[in-house]
Amino acid sequence: MSLSNLIDDWSRYRKGREEGGFHDYEHMWGMSIDLNKCIGCNACSVACYAENNLAVVGKEKFEKGQGMHWLRVERYWDEPDLGEERTSEFQQHGASFLPMMCQQCNAATCEPVCPVAATYHTPDGLNAQVYNRCIGSRYCSNNCPFRLRYFNFWSYYEDSWPAPLQMQLNPDISVRDMGVMEKCTFCVQRIRTVKDTARMEDRKVRDGEVQTACSQTCPTGAIEFGDMLGMYDPETGVAETRVTKMWRKHQVELGKTKQNKQTPEMRGYRVFEFLNTDPCVMYLDRVREV
Amino acid sequence: MSVLQHLPLGRFIEAASRGSRQTKQTVQVSFIVMLLMAAMALFSAKVNAEVPNAVPPEGSYSGIHVEQPIEFPHDTHADINEINCMYCHTYARRSKVAGIPPTSKCMGCHSVIATDKPRIQKLTEYWENKQPPLWNKVHDVPDFVHFTHEKHIKRFVIDNEDLEVENVSEVCAFCHGEVKKMTVADKVKPLTMGFCQRCHQANDGPSDCWHCHK
Repeated sequence: MSLSNLIDDWSRYRKGREEGGFHDYEHMWGMSIDLNKCIGCNACSVACYAENNLAVVGKEKFEKGQGMHWLRVERYWDEPDLGEERTSEFQQHGASFLPMMCQQCNAATCEPVCPVAATYHTPDGLNAQVYNRCIGSRYCSNNCPFRLRYFNFWSYYEDSWPAPLQMQLNPDISVRDMGVMEKCTFCVQRIRTVKDTARMEDRKVRDGEVQTACSQTCPTGAIEFGDMLGMYDPETGVAETRVTKMWRKHQVELGKTKQNKQTPEMRGYRVFEFLNTDPCVMYLDRVREV
Repeated sequence: MSVLQHLPLGRFIEAASRGSRQTKQTVQVSFIVMLLMAAMALFSAKVNAEVPNAVPPEGSYSGIHVEQPIEFPHDTHADINEINCMYCHTYARRSKVAGIPPTSKCMGCHSVIATDKPRIQKLTEYWENKQPPLWNKVHDVPDFVHFTHEKHIKRFVIDNEDLEVENVSEVCAFCHGEVKKMTVADKVKPLTMGFCQRCHQANDGPSDCWHCHK
């Protein structure tokens, strides 16, 4: 069954790519992150920990590379390192931030290598990870060009939430055990809840109805989340979703290895686009006054 | 041909269709097809009588018994008095879980009905102490499974126009067994992935992993 899902997905993706448009998909969840707005406060990362039952691993394990943050805020320095001349441990100017969560690649490199088909693509355009199917081969993590998959080296649930802290765990997502690979899911439990509600009310999912924990928390509203198939509908008058609008405005398109921009000064880009993984997350480049 | 020869009816057919070998075979094949169709008609008629537009899940399970603080008689309520399951398990059509009724719902009737029975007296004791009986969970799926009663009730009860209201418990019985013949509810269906998946395939349910795994 998983294997047939895997095969269906590839044919669905190839069809969408060849015909130019991914309309066989139910939804295509995507993001647009404005780095001009990002202040590097890490609130998104904290929200992700709270929403997705992530364990805090501690300094020692983190140093060994066993960190468990589905969303990490990478820090880069635009100005050169002053070396000996610097006055403090950190540079005073020129920090820029890059929030990195699973890019939900449409041609994901992690998917075809899974020996048990625990990771596959859903008809929502999401890169799924089925925890109870995962055997922990870590092949997917090795194949991810972004290093956005995290492995449970320890049974964190045993001592990460001593009573009564286990009461804070989110019941809509499982608490993963040792030996399981995990990653950002675009808060699939929220998507599922909204889709269930919409189906019960016999309507379509509205724009802005699904919010991921990170986009909800972001104090500057840098993260936009929504359905990228939400085009303008002249019949019903439903406007296109904000994410679609952002992608269109910045002339970034799905299914392309290199964007053919009419106006190259538009800031939109996707990370490692040349690798042809076709990510669903678009970043808007940071602009600085010099 | 040889199989049919052992049956009296088969011999009759053979006798009736003496002629070329081909004719005999045709008659036998059509006879088998007719038998199959009759069986199918019988089977589907039996299913449709209770729950139309649905194929119940298949699977057997030896069953487990869970002790409860009060031996609640489901048979008295659902079978003898014909109370709808969703009168007490009212969240089934509204949320993920079916819900256990609050003690106040029990007392709504039992402050006047059957107050002399020992089980009702025990219930009244709980009510007067302002303590709910701590019911034990019987039907539990693993942590990694997302199951909503709401969607299943919508598919099999609310959107199922041919279903008669008194047969709602037959829909519940798909996964919970004949609860209305039990006192305390026992787990009598396997509730395994295969059990769910067979039903999803038969009733065109989703087969996407992330629909049910979380």
